[in-house]
Amino acid sequence: MLEHAPDLAAAFARLERSLLRRRWAAIEPVLRFEIAALVAFLCASLFWRMRLRLGSIAFAHGPWAAAADGALALAGLALAGGALCGARHALRLAPGSPAPPWLALPIPPVEIHRHLARTSRPLALWAAAPAVAILAAGVGIVPGVALLAFAGGFGIVLDRAARLGCAAAFGLALLRTEPHPGCDATTRVLAVAARPVRAARSGAARWRGDGAFAAFLRKDALLARRPGAARGRLVPPLVFGALSVLVWTAPIAPGAVSTVALALTLMAAAGVAGWIVALAASDPFPVVRSLPLGPGVVWGTRVTWAALGAVTLAAGQALGADLSPAPSATAPVAGTALVALAIGVLGANYAITLFPRADHAERILGIALAISITASLMIYYLGWALLLAALLHSARRLPRWARSEAA
Amino acid sequence: MTLRIQGLTYRYGALFALDGVALDVKPGEIVGLLGPNGAGKSTLLRMVAGLQPPDAGTVHVDDVDLWRDPIAAKRRLGFASEHPEFYEELSAEQYLAFLAAVRGLDPQAAAGRARELFASLGLAGRTDEPVRGFSNGMRKKLSFLAAILHRPRLLLCDEALEGFDAPAALYARETLRALAAGGAAVLFSSHVTEAVERLCDRVVVLHRGRVVRTLARAEWGVPSPGLTTLERAFLELIGVPAAEVPA
Repeated sequence: MLEHAPDLAAAFARLERSLLRRRWAAIEPVLRFEIAALVAFLCASLFWRMRLRLGSIAFAHGPWAAAADGALALAGLALAGGALCGARHALRLAPGSPAPPWLALPIPPVEIHRHLARTSRPLALWAAAPAVAILAAGVGIVPGVALLAFAGGFGIVLDRAARLGCAAAFGLALLRTEPHPGCDATTRVLAVAARPVRAARSGAARWRGDGAFAAFLRKDALLARRPGAARGRLVPPLVFGALSVLVWTAPIAPGAVSTVALALTLMAAAGVAGWIVALAASDPFPVVRSLPLGPGVVWGTRVTWAALGAVTLAAGQALGADLSPAPSATAPVAGTALVALAIGVLGANYAITLFPRADHAERILGIALAISITASLMIYYLGWALLLAALLHSARRLPRWARSEAA
Repeated sequence: MTLRIQGLTYRYGALFALDGVALDVKPGEIVGLLGPNGAGKSTLLRMVAGLQPPDAGTVHVDDVDLWRDPIAAKRRLGFASEHPEFYEELSAEQYLAFLAAVRGLDPQAAAGRARELFASLGLAGRTDEPVRGFSNGMRKKLSFLAAILHRPRLLLCDEALEGFDAPAALYARETLRALAAGGAAVLFSSHVTEAVERLCDRVVVLHRGRVVRTLARAEWGVPSPGLTTLERAFLELIGVPAAEVPA
C-alpha cells in the first residue's frame, strides 16, 4: 500500500552513488595504478608538447595569441568529452543494451532518461586530465587572468558539451522509433532500448570428421571472423604489423628504420600473443574440460597460430626491406620470426596453464614481456635469456592443464 | 557398473561441500540426485564430469579412473550443465559440428542426429543463429542436445531440463529413457521432485555433502502414467496433438 509519494530524486541519487562506488570497487588496485600511470604519462607528454607550442606562438605572436591557441585546444577537448558522453549514451539507448526493466517501474519515463543521462555524463571527466595539462603548460606563457578564465570556462563548456552529446544521442535513438498514439518520445526510446536484438544468421555449419586439431583451428578461425572479443583483439597486431612494413618506406634515417620496424614488429607479436589469450578466454570452461581432450590439441592449435603470426611478421619485414628506398636496407628476418614465435608461444603457454583465468594470463604475459624488453635495453641478449626462461617455466606447467586454476 | 564414485570429498575452506560421497549407477539405470540448495549436487556432478578435481576419492566411468585417464573417461560421458556455457559467437549447428569433430563422430551421422534433435526440441529454424542470442530455455536445450549427441555411456544432467517448454521436456524425458534402455547410465539432478519421481529408477538424497538416503522406486510408488491434465490441455492449445508426444 502506497502511504506517501516516493522521493524519486533522492532514490536516484542514492542509486547513482551506489553505482559509482561499485564501479570504483570493481577496478582492481593494480589496474587503478596502471590507469593513473597511463593518464599521468599521457598528460606529461601533452604538457611538454603544448608548452613548446604555446612558447613558440607567444614568442612569434605574443601571449594573447598563445592564449587563443590554448583556448582552442581546450574547446576541442570539451567537444571530445561531449562526444564521448554522447557515444556512451547512444550505446545505452541502442536496442538490446543491458538494463533493468525500467518501464516496468511506476516512474515517469522522463525521470528514467534523466537518470541514464546523469550516469552517462561523468565520462566527460576524462577530458579534465588533459585540460589540466594544457592549463599547466600555459603557466608563465599565457596571461594568468586568461588561464583562470579558461579553467572556469572549461568546466562549464564541458558540462554543456556532455549534455549536448546526451541530447544528440537521444535524438538519434528517437529516429529509430515509430510514432505511437498515447506514447511519449521517452517511452518510445526506452521501449526500443529494451527490445532484444536477434543476432544475424551465419552460414551453414560444416560437418567434418578431420579430428580435434583441425576442428579447433576451424573454430578459432570462425571466432576471429565473428564480432566479439577474439576479433577485436586481432586489430592491434594487424595495425602494428602493417605499420612495421610501411615504416620501411617512411623518411627515417636508414640506421633508425630497422630499429623502429623491430619495435613495431615486437608490438605486433605481443598483439598476436594477446589474441591467442583472447581465443583461450573464449573457450567455455565446462565444455572444453568435459571433452576428451588433452592439453596437446589445445596447445598445438594455439602454437600453430603463433607460428603463422611469426612467419607473417617475418615475411612482412622482408617485404618492407625490399620496398625501402635505401639500397642497403636489410631486415633480420630469421631473428624477427624467432622472437615473434617465442612471444606467441609464451602467450599460448600462459593462456593454457592459467585457463580459464585469461585476465591473469594477459597480465603475466605483459609483465614477462616488459621485463624482457627492459632487460634487453640494459644488457644485450639478457632479454632473450629472460624470454627463454619464461617459456621454459610456463611450458613445465602445461601438463597441469587438467587441474583447474579456478578450482 | 558404468559409474562408481568412492569416498568423494571436497572442501571449500573449512566447509565440506562433499564428504565421502559413494554412489554407483548401473548401465540402463536413471538415478535421481535430490537435495536442498547447497547440498553439493552441482559440485558432485562437476567432479564426475572432470571439471573439478576432488580433494579425495575416486570416480570410475566404465572402470576407467576419471582422474588417471581423463580422455578415455570423458569419451564415455556427456554433461548437461545447470548454467550452460558456449562459444557465444558460433551458431548452434556450428557448435555441435565442432563437438562432433572433437569427439571423432561420423560427420554425416552426427549432422543427421543433430537435425533430428533440433527439430524434436523445437530449435529448428534457429540453428544458424549465434548462441548469444538464445533465450535461457534455448540454451538449456542446446546444452542437453550437446550432451546426448554422441549417445554417451554416462549422462550427467545438472538441472538440465529446467527451463524446457512442455513438449521439449516430455521429449527429453523420453530421450533419457531411450538412452537408458540402450544401456546408458544417467545421473539426473533436479529440484523438481515431480520430474525425478516420473523418470528415475532410484533416488539418492544428498544433504550437507553426504548421501543421507537412497530410495528405490518401490518406496515412492508408481507415478500416474501418461500426460497430466494440464499438460494435455497445454499441448492442445499450442497445436501439438497429445498423441504425438511421448508420455
